[in-house]
Amino acid sequence: MDAKIEGVGLSKTYVSARTGDRVEALRDISFRIMPNEFVSIVGPSGCGKSTLLSLVAGFVSPSAGKVLVDAVAVSAPDPRRGVMFQEYALFPWRTVLGNVEFGPLAQGASPAARRAVAQRYIDMVGLAGFEGRYPHELSGGMRQRCALARLLANEPEVWLMDEPLAAVDLQTRNILQDELLRLWGDAGDPASRRAVMFVTHGIDEAVYLSDRVIVLGRRPGQVKDVVSIDLPRPRRSLRNTAAAGRFIDHIWNLIRDEAAQAIVEETS
Amino acid sequence: MTDAQRRWLPLPFFATVLVLWEFAVRQSGQLALYPYPSGVLRAAIRTIGDGSLLAATSGSLYRVLLGFSIAGLLGIPLGVLMGSLQPVNRAMSPIIDSLRSIAPIAWIPMALLWLGIRGNAALFIVTYAAFFPFVVNTIQAVRLVDRNLVNAARALGASRALIARTVILPGSLPVILTGARISLAFAWGAIIAAELAMGIKVSAGGSGAVGLGQLMVSTLYIRRDVNALVLYMIVVGIISFMIDLLMRRLQRNLTPWR
Amino acid sequence: MEHETSSLAMRSRVESVAMRDRGSWTHSLRRGEFVLALAAIVAVWQMVSVSVNNKTLVPPPLLVLDAWIGLWAAELPGDILASLVHLGVGYGLGIAAGLALALLAARFLLFEAIIDPMVEILRPISAIAWIPIAILMFGIGRGVPIFLIFYAAIFPVFINTLAGIKQVDPHLLQAAQMLGASRRMIVTHVVMPAALPLILAGARLSLGVAWMAMVAGELTGADSGLGWRIFWYQEFFAMDKVMAVILTIGILGYILDTLLRWLQARITRWSQDGSEAGR
Repeated sequence: MDAKIEGVGLSKTYVSARTGDRVEALRDISFRIMPNEFVSIVGPSGCGKSTLLSLVAGFVSPSAGKVLVDAVAVSAPDPRRGVMFQEYALFPWRTVLGNVEFGPLAQGASPAARRAVAQRYIDMVGLAGFEGRYPHELSGGMRQRCALARLLANEPEVWLMDEPLAAVDLQTRNILQDELLRLWGDAGDPASRRAVMFVTHGIDEAVYLSDRVIVLGRRPGQVKDVVSIDLPRPRRSLRNTAAAGRFIDHIWNLIRDEAAQAIVEETS
Repeated sequence: MTDAQRRWLPLPFFATVLVLWEFAVRQSGQLALYPYPSGVLRAAIRTIGDGSLLAATSGSLYRVLLGFSIAGLLGIPLGVLMGSLQPVNRAMSPIIDSLRSIAPIAWIPMALLWLGIRGNAALFIVTYAAFFPFVVNTIQAVRLVDRNLVNAARALGASRALIARTVILPGSLPVILTGARISLAFAWGAIIAAELAMGIKVSAGGSGAVGLGQLMVSTLYIRRDVNALVLYMIVVGIISFMIDLLMRRLQRNLTPWR
Repeated sequence: MEHETSSLAMRSRVESVAMRDRGSWTHSLRRGEFVLALAAIVAVWQMVSVSVNNKTLVPPPLLVLDAWIGLWAAELPGDILASLVHLGVGYGLGIAAGLALALLAARFLLFEAIIDPMVEILRPISAIAWIPIAILMFGIGRGVPIFLIFYAAIFPVFINTLAGIKQVDPHLLQAAQMLGASRRMIVTHVVMPAALPLILAGARLSLGVAWMAMVAGELTGADSGLGWRIFWYQEFFAMDKVMAVILTIGILGYILDTLLRWLQARITRWSQDGSEAGR
């Protein structure tokens, strides 16, 4: 099977247009994500994981190398690659319904058609009854569900998620993780699952959700290791088990030193 | 585009504009009708040389500063009263707010009637325009003084007068100075407006003090020198700009802790 | 002088917020006290006019009221209409121009680099200073007030709109892109709504200066409108009518600002400072 997403020798250096400073965010990253695979990207602060996601999403162009989706180079954002943001990025002047139906609206769907699609996904994420609410009236967890519904309404082939659960409390996060797995098809037929690239700080989260975890090092970002999480699916009952713990330990040991260094550098 | 590039872009751009402007007007042959850069320059040389520009500008500025001072002397105490005493605030603020929404120059006819043309009507308009920013900002300034600082001073045994001098005054100074800055800007706008209106509407050849506004009107109707008019416009702008610059600098120097 | 792109915008933005806040303290008042204070002003006014005893120098309040009522059957509606037409045309064009320039400046860095210094140079030259040139250009008539209003209204709208566009959350733009929105759709469906709070603040500031410019323009270079009518009555020394028109100007200006403030609150209910905009 061919990879759904493939990064080939990706490098990204940011140059400030105003001052001319150069920051090397990523160096020579290569990876593959298969069509039905859930892959997480973890690493210490400053390792460039969000940059990597931006490259795959098409928000920025690589300084070297390329991103291939279905063997075609990525150059711009596209509805087939849906993105979820850490701060939700919901349109505050639109209701829940207005946000979710934005994608179909952009695709030119008729009012009736897009309302139907939007309603379906609103129900699916558990926001039925809140269609008329504005984002500022919703809790963090509900906003995230709305963002997810908005993503799904376009029925993308690839889900790109940039620390989507970082802004909610721990209990809500666990619930949302299970929701995410459910919607993804964790308990169903593997062939029905979409390719997911999930950036996160939480190693436990990465292990719980993913098939594989790509571990990045920092300054500049490089691939340290790729760990296959061969825990069985559905993952529901496997939170906090010894098997999961071993993977978490392994990955933590890979990044522990750099994580500590990151704390010092960020404060000074 | 880097910061450095941005900084130097305006110069060649404006130089080009000025050259094209001069060229276009000369080509049209209508030198009496349209203003052009070299004409404006010559008008500047003339009016500075014969002293008329300086006399008019200083006449206007004199009334601006006078009106500004009167407005401050009246407005700041009123603002302090209104900001500290709720009953006074409740009584006065509808009055202040209603008067504030009437454009200063609308009062010119009444001012002319009450104070006559010899510059006092214009002074009234200027004082009126400068009054409200002082009041409004001083009220806000007094309210913004941190309650904690006042209580701390009181706990240390300071008298009311001492507190007023060392806590309330410095604490409210920044916003009062902002009010002064806005006030002076309004005052400058008001004097020009008042002088223009009086110059245009009062044809009695009244020999009020000649300010920049009256100079502009006489140039409009008598000399008909378009270049001089553009020059006066630029002078108005330059003075506006410098007033703002000066006041901001003053603000920074008087309240260095900001 | 800083040459940051946003120094001009930031300064005006801060001033616009400061000016907004300055009106806020009056609205914590109760209506009853307003009536009481109004009665007090009228009483003082009456006392002054009685002591001066000269109906032309200080027209008594009742006389002014009588004149005002009488004017409604005569020229006042026509004058109000004329002024509103001046305002409508000048303000409308000014807002449109300010928005368009801001959009261009946001889109093309070169355009902004050129326009920023132009704005910084022209802004200190108030609309009032343009009166003689405007009279030369348009003659006495509608042209002068409309031009003055237009000129005065452009700057606050331009500055605030540009600032509003620049502070749009880039993630919102990315979200729209990823959802498949075209460039045009991003401008109309994301940038404009996100910038709306600041745009409306600019529109309100513009209305304030436009109103002043209208009065000044009509007073000096027009042959219609409330400002012009003030001097027309003055020629006959009908000071009671002069006062009546002056008060009308004040009331009308207040009504328009209140309308805009209401609109501002309604439209930006969703924004974080939607509650503040209601003041």
